[in-house]
Amino acid sequence: MTDYNAMTDDEFRAEVRRFVESEYPTHLRNPPNRLHWDEGEEWFRIVQKKGWVAPGWPRELGGMGLDASKQIILIEEYERHGVARLPDHGVIMLGPLLIRFGTEEQRARFLPRILAGEDIWCQGYSEPGAGSDLASLRTEAVLDGDHYVVNGQKIWTTLATDANWIFCLVRTDKAAKKQEGISFLLIDMNTPGVTVRPIINLALHDEFCEVFFDNVRVPKENLVGEPNKGWSMAKALLGFERIFLGSPRQSAYALSRLKTLAERMGVFDEPEFQDRYTKLRCDLEDHKALYETFVAVLRRGESLGADVSMLKLHQSDLFQRITELMLEIGGENAGLLKPMEGNRDLHPAGQFIEARPTTIYGGSSEIQRGILAKAVLELPG
Amino acid sequence: MSATLQDERDEAIRMIRDSAVGIAPRAGDRKRIRALRFKSPGFDPAVWRQMGEQGWIGLRVPEEQGGAGLGMGAFCALAEELGAALAPEPLVPGALAARLLAAAGASAPLEALVSGEALVLAAWQERANSFEVPGTPDAPRLFLPMADGARSFLVPVRAGDGFSLRLQPAEGADLALEPTQDGGSYGTLRPAGGEEVGTVSAAQMEAALEEAALGTAAMLLGVMDQAFAMTLDYLRTRQQFGKPIGSFQALQHRAADLKVQIALSRASVEAAAAICDRGGDREDAPAAQRRAAIARAKARAADAALLVTRQAIQLHGGIGYTDEADIGLYMRRAMVLANQFGSAGLHRRRFAAAQPEVEA
Repeated sequence: MTDYNAMTDDEFRAEVRRFVESEYPTHLRNPPNRLHWDEGEEWFRIVQKKGWVAPGWPRELGGMGLDASKQIILIEEYERHGVARLPDHGVIMLGPLLIRFGTEEQRARFLPRILAGEDIWCQGYSEPGAGSDLASLRTEAVLDGDHYVVNGQKIWTTLATDANWIFCLVRTDKAAKKQEGISFLLIDMNTPGVTVRPIINLALHDEFCEVFFDNVRVPKENLVGEPNKGWSMAKALLGFERIFLGSPRQSAYALSRLKTLAERMGVFDEPEFQDRYTKLRCDLEDHKALYETFVAVLRRGESLGADVSMLKLHQSDLFQRITELMLEIGGENAGLLKPMEGNRDLHPAGQFIEARPTTIYGGSSEIQRGILAKAVLELPG
Repeated sequence: MSATLQDERDEAIRMIRDSAVGIAPRAGDRKRIRALRFKSPGFDPAVWRQMGEQGWIGLRVPEEQGGAGLGMGAFCALAEELGAALAPEPLVPGALAARLLAAAGASAPLEALVSGEALVLAAWQERANSFEVPGTPDAPRLFLPMADGARSFLVPVRAGDGFSLRLQPAEGADLALEPTQDGGSYGTLRPAGGEEVGTVSAAQMEAALEEAALGTAAMLLGVMDQAFAMTLDYLRTRQQFGKPIGSFQALQHRAADLKVQIALSRASVEAAAAICDRGGDREDAPAAQRRAAIARAKARAADAALLVTRQAIQLHGGIGYTDEADIGLYMRRAMVLANQFGSAGLHRRRFAAAQPEVEA
């Protein structure tokens, strides 16, 4: 097995670039929506054959064993090429959690099936009454002999229709303080009592779902870590999500679309447009610089602090401002339901809509500002 | 305007708002809108006929030509109500065609249009985000709203200083349709074989387009006003962290800022309508003053409606990003209307050209 960490960063970057340029299916570049499993499986099989399914997992568990710096390079090269994100909650969220907090049996049972693409995982955290206030979640799991009996509802479960397993935060102690009565439970979605309902989003795509649990019996060995410690386990893994959501990828791609649109509308050389476009370009370059400072923290092997909230806050804002300018200059084209005639990648309305939820999901901008004010600036209240 | 005329104008505006409620209630359910969207023709011909019976399509057409002869204040009030109700029936494009047909004295197609029996669309536009009418005989005419439901198209062709209006039946026409975000469609027409029904001057053409721009601004005002009302309801009822989210100061301040933008939009739209109506004669206001006021109103309404509906989604959180939440319908409508009859940027340039700054 190749020890990628023995390569220099430049060598590794060249290796990744060669791989995606020669093997990534062209028709899957920069898709307008998250791909369903069946749409992206051909790419998964290519990655599987290469042995690159789990970049961050240790090599002895079937991962690439990449250090943080190499993981970032991999992501950057994927993003540069417009590689689609597959249903990857098993690789990105559950795997690292089992590796850190799971039992030997849980690792042996679940990790190989993730690498083989046999189990597709989704994440059951949010609930209708527990969004920004996630710790108030109410889906409960009550121990009954060797099983937990689960009742409740999850929402915004990404690609749940594609998944056969879901990892959930469930309430196991109603008497405890709200963060302290939560456990982390793995549920086979083929168990009787689990129902999935897709939600059509504003992009008219069925990316999210609701998942209902009606007296679902889950073997108690599917609980990860200690009972009532699920909140802190899940939170320990959020840092990576926040740097991922703060990546300049969405804004960089949108800015390139803005330029193409401006050229097509004949306004690219107008001083007024140039002034606004240049400001966005500078914002993007400054964002990349800020992103690099957080990447450097990971490279040093340190963990990210609460200040990583700044990245997601600024990225989502920038992405939205770029797409808002697309709407402003696109004329009537900005009202079209489908991409503009003759260019599948030119869809100002679609990109405007795609940018809307980035300030809502993964901790809304209001929540991120609250974190910054309290945890970073240490303001009172 | 004399006190009596002012009273009459206010009364007409009140009456038109009351009558709008009967056909397109603001707080009505959005089932009708959902049932019509993304299907041909995108609106309900029976409701279009009702609008004709109410005198709305010919609201701006003189009474002696079969219209209601009302002012822009009344037209904007009506457009605002229909915007708030998300009515998909193409009132503003229909009223534009009616204005042009009336100016050209084409009584037969005018009668069919204002009665609501048929939809006639003015096929004036040859470039995206434009406000001028080149009148090229064979050039494709772009962005015809709800073209699938039109009986005929009114194609202006440059003739001397003005335009010859050619009426082309939709049947047999070379028409391509593209769906729009709000569930309607834009048609592209390749004009051929229309029959001249009259002529209009360049000034009449421009005045009619300006009225369409102002009507669209009023519609955007209704869209943002209703989206804001729904958002305030949500802020009052949605609970997180043990209290209504509307109790959080960050969200209160956001709501207050949106209110300011809505108030500015309303003031701008109503001031522009009043300038159009001054003296009771629609041709009375100096053209430059009118143009500047309308351009300002359309620019403000387009920007504010997009801001308010975007923030409405944000303040609704995850549920706001679902298609089943009605608030998204408001953003989609704003996305389409914001750039119809000229974008905010285009109208700001018109404003600057029409109203040069006076040295202090």
